[in-house]
Amino acid sequence: MEAEELLVLVARGDQKAFEDLYGLVSGPVFGLVRRVVRDPAQSEEVAQEVLLELWRSAAKFDPERGSALSWVLTLAHRRAVDRVRSARAAGEREQREALRAGEPAFDQVAETVEAGLEREWVRRCLDRLTALQRQSVTLAYYDGYTYREVAERLKLPLGTVKTRMRDGLTRLRDCLGGAA
Amino acid sequence: MSLVGRLLHREDLHSLAAPYALDALEPGERRRFEKHLRDCDRCADEVRALTEDAVRLAWSTAAPPPLAMRDRVLAAVRATPQESAPIPEHTPQLPPHVWGAQPPPARVRARRPLFVPFATATATAALVVASLFAVQAGRTQDQLDAERAQSREIAHVLAASDVRTTSYEDAQGRSIGAVTSVSEGQAVVTLSGYGTPSNGRVHQLWLMRPRVQPRSLGLFKADTPLVATGLGRSATSLAVTVEPAGGSAQPTSQPIVQLALKSVGFGE
Ligand SMILES: [Zn+2]
Repeated sequence: MEAEELLVLVARGDQKAFEDLYGLVSGPVFGLVRRVVRDPAQSEEVAQEVLLELWRSAAKFDPERGSALSWVLTLAHRRAVDRVRSARAAGEREQREALRAGEPAFDQVAETVEAGLEREWVRRCLDRLTALQRQSVTLAYYDGYTYREVAERLKLPLGTVKTRMRDGLTRLRDCLGGAA
Repeated sequence: MSLVGRLLHREDLHSLAAPYALDALEPGERRRFEKHLRDCDRCADEVRALTEDAVRLAWSTAAPPPLAMRDRVLAAVRATPQESAPIPEHTPQLPPHVWGAQPPPARVRARRPLFVPFATATATAALVVASLFAVQAGRTQDQLDAERAQSREIAHVLAASDVRTTSYEDAQGRSIGAVTSVSEGQAVVTLSGYGTPSNGRVHQLWLMRPRVQPRSLGLFKADTPLVATGLGRSATSLAVTVEPAGGSAQPTSQPIVQLALKSVGFGE
């Protein structure tokens, strides 16, 4: 069953449907959260919160506004970013330094074969962006920086960063179009 | 604001679709932009498309979660009401199967649920409850009675409006976890995998604050959670040491594990 159908059933309190949904989305949710949060224990905690939130607020899913999977992953990303920012604000130095060290964007998480292929494709498409487009997009999406922070780090005006982000995403769309 | 100012402001908001799709706005800006989205079709369309693009970046990070996570999440799901669900007539109780992946023995199952009125506990708390009590099957009557008294205190922490959780697991799978509330100055602390120290010694929990001697928060009894109270905002971490029977006034050995409290709002 598709994620859309499952979410409708989950919204009605169907626990069996939730188990199926878990099978479908737990890997992408956990992987994404870990990519952003990095700390394994905290990643697990955030991923659990996200999955439970799917159960609690499945009724909020609106198919008009996009696919179920992007709803799920958007939620996961939002929670991961919130966590990494509050950890950063709390001054967790090691975490900040790990982020500053600019660890390789793709090589740190154990992957399934499927994710590996998708990852290879995304990597290739990211390579086609200009350096500033790529950095603007990945610093925000994978490292959880606000566009203001990205502008500071790249020493660019705010307007430029916003444009680079949009151009970067649009170019990714053109490149990834065939990969779905 | 002048008309020009308003137009400029709006123009500025239009440009936030991409940072929004990447979750790269600060909270205030995020709220303002979401308000703007409600009556700007152009931005709404753009956000929809750009969000799908951003999600492609997510797919490439997929990784299998730890197996135990599934049990914890499914257990929590069984204990957690949904937002759209009608309000039940009775105060919902934590069902017995939340105690763990393994169903507890029949004797335990027949008892009135140990635990909290669930309506007030948060989702995170549900997960913690599920894992805290995963070890409870097979307790004796006395233990259960003692734990019931303690569970009231735990329920109190879980019901706090600012309940948060934090945990740390080492490479050997030993872990310390805490459910905390800054407003209540309390934490429910669990220690697991450290076993019972030999020769009648005990695991003692300490409150660590800057420039102050550690303060004892109590002794762990087997794997029962410990309720620590009187944590001020200055608390920076919790530490566990092995101490002689009965505990010590001050730590006599190095901590075997320490848990920072910054991520849960302490340490000011
Ligand atoms: Zn607009």
